Amino acid sequence: MDQRNNKLGWLFTSPYLIYSLIFFFVPLVWSFFLSVTDWNLIAPIFNFVGFGNFLDALRSPGVHAAFWVTYKFMMIFVPLVTVLATGVAVLVHGLKRFKNLFLIGFFLPYLSSGVVSALIVKGLLSYNSPVNTFLRGFGIDIDWLGTPLSALFVIGLILAWKFTGYYALILTSGLESIDKEVYEAAAIDGVKDSQRFWRITLPLLYPALYTTLILAFGVTFGIFTEVYQLTGGGPQNATNTWQMEIFRQAFANLQAGYASAVALLASAATFLSIFVIRKLLELWGKRNGWV
Amino acid sequence: MKKKNVLSILLTAAVTAGTLSACSTGQGQAPGGKQAAGGGGGVTTIEFWAAPNPTQQAFWQDMAKQYATVNPKVKVNVTAMKESPTSEASIQAAIAAKSAPTLSENINRGFAAQLAGSKALVPLDTLDGFQDIVKARNMSGTIGPWKFADGHQYVLPIYSNAMLFGWRLDTLKDLGYNEPPKTYSEILDLTKKLKAKYGDKKFLWAKADLADPTAWKRWFDFFMLYDAASNGNKFIEGSKFTGDDKAGVSVLTFVDNLRKENGLLARQVTDPFETGVGTFADIGPWTFTTWAEKYPELQYNKNYTLTMPPVPDGMNPADSKTFADTKGLVIYASATKEQQKAAIDFIKWVYSDAKNDAAWFEKTMLPPARDDLTSNEAFKSILDKNPQLKPYAENVPNAIPPMDNAKYNDLQTIIGEQAFNKVVKGEISPEEGWANMKKAIESALK
Repeated sequence: MDQRNNKLGWLFTSPYLIYSLIFFFVPLVWSFFLSVTDWNLIAPIFNFVGFGNFLDALRSPGVHAAFWVTYKFMMIFVPLVTVLATGVAVLVHGLKRFKNLFLIGFFLPYLSSGVVSALIVKGLLSYNSPVNTFLRGFGIDIDWLGTPLSALFVIGLILAWKFTGYYALILTSGLESIDKEVYEAAAIDGVKDSQRFWRITLPLLYPALYTTLILAFGVTFGIFTEVYQLTGGGPQNATNTWQMEIFRQAFANLQAGYASAVALLASAATFLSIFVIRKLLELWGKRNGWV
Repeated sequence: MKKKNVLSILLTAAVTAGTLSACSTGQGQAPGGKQAAGGGGGVTTIEFWAAPNPTQQAFWQDMAKQYATVNPKVKVNVTAMKESPTSEASIQAAIAAKSAPTLSENINRGFAAQLAGSKALVPLDTLDGFQDIVKARNMSGTIGPWKFADGHQYVLPIYSNAMLFGWRLDTLKDLGYNEPPKTYSEILDLTKKLKAKYGDKKFLWAKADLADPTAWKRWFDFFMLYDAASNGNKFIEGSKFTGDDKAGVSVLTFVDNLRKENGLLARQVTDPFETGVGTFADIGPWTFTTWAEKYPELQYNKNYTLTMPPVPDGMNPADSKTFADTKGLVIYASATKEQQKAAIDFIKWVYSDAKNDAAWFEKTMLPPARDDLTSNEAFKSILDKNPQLKPYAENVPNAIPPMDNAKYNDLQTIIGEQAFNKVVKGEISPEEGWANMKKAIESALK
């Protein structure tokens, strides 16, 4: 029986295992191989360069920028999307009618094309757009995409707009799972309305919040479309993300070996950062007695 | 159990070894497998990748169809080049996957240098019949600057857009000008008048790309001005920086002076020239199709005109040179000898008749890369119908193609990052910017 179950287990997991082998394991091995060569994928001859590509990448201003820009986006995007998604979830949860309709409405930006939304924003923020013409009337003239800080904020805002509905959906299901009796008991115990969120909702929402936070932190390591469309990584590398740097090296400079080394460094930075963030979030939960 | 463990280890080792052997080719040598000439019954099939532009694709499909009636022994399969994410990346992936076409168009000189450096292209001048094409197409003058540093011709230029500057005639007339200024000091005078009259409503040159270091963007600002100021001097010769210091500094000083007069707007602006925010802009002939639909009010020599790039004071504007936005056709080294021969015969047939180039010009609005565009009767009716294309046709011989260095992307990024973009933003003096750029380029070329 055990042996039969074992075989069935392998059978049912085999699609995922095969998928992982083809789309994860093979490309990973391939990336490792490329990263120690100077091959551009088309030359008949290539050389093994050892860790040369990694050393070059560690010295590259583009890679330094990608490393720091990711954390800058994290500082803008994660708090913004968390506050917005929590706000939306709490508001929608409190609705008596049309709850699903509102949730679908907030979720739609997540399904929209990053290229299209970036192009709309580009038009909205152009020098001769109605927004800027109006602002100039008051003496306010901002080069939104040409100034490092504002460019970071604009991209952070687009991402927050895109992901708010998705995370709100997860948080709403978290809120739905909180037993109403907990609130009733708290009311009997004298918990004020103003304390309800911090003392009851937040602790019980922690598992859903933990999920959305991990997802949000993960998003910042994969930003590409918005940056590619709006700033190309500029001004002065101020919005140059890991994905942008990999794209530039692989497809503009045709340096597949070097780009693979950058991709592996990006993976290492992602795994390490997510590991640390996960531990910190778990610590936060434990300290407050939420887990 | 032990047996199972051994089997697992062997399986893992086999997968790893299999993967590695698929990646590596042993002794640091990539496989050089040749694609077999397709087709049967003595028919040679060649794969042609056309540019991902419907008009270009239609032209080549039509040519392939006509050629099939002339030479049934060769079948030309025309498909559009994929752009995933760019056409260059698609070609790179196809070569890596051993599925490269026999020939393709849409290749710029810099990318051709990258491909040639990787031995992925056939030197066209080594193929029988290439010189016949140059002669029959009357393009010896145009193709001259296309010769690569190793003395070979890897690309047959199909079209050559001598990039021109557009001027808003309505704005110029408002400022009392009947024709566009041609020298740096004349333009500076105009900028002063423009700013005095319009303030922050109009600029001389409004374009976000001026502050963007992306490599290809230098073709449409720095190189247009530099080619004019240096009389077409080669910026890079082989792997040596041969830029003209005097011309380079004068270009940067001109840009710096425009900035000081608040004549530049290096910010995102929607259609700056078309809406009149910009008075001067780099214009390629592909623009006119869009204008016909979106801005039909823009009429050549009524509210806009076209000129060659301005020159520094003391130079003759009539001798101005410009950047050639030009792309061409290549034959891939992975094709069999039979396919290479069939490909060159097909190209020879296409370009042996000027009517085919005329059909191209009419369909695509891209000036064929030939020396007789303004004198050959085949093109007269097209130019008469589209007078805005005349200055492009006239200046094909005055247009300098991009550098043929495999590192062109890095090198042109340096021009922006070290000099041009910084001068536009007022972050560096022209002299310092040029010196920094020169040093960085020389270091990158080592």
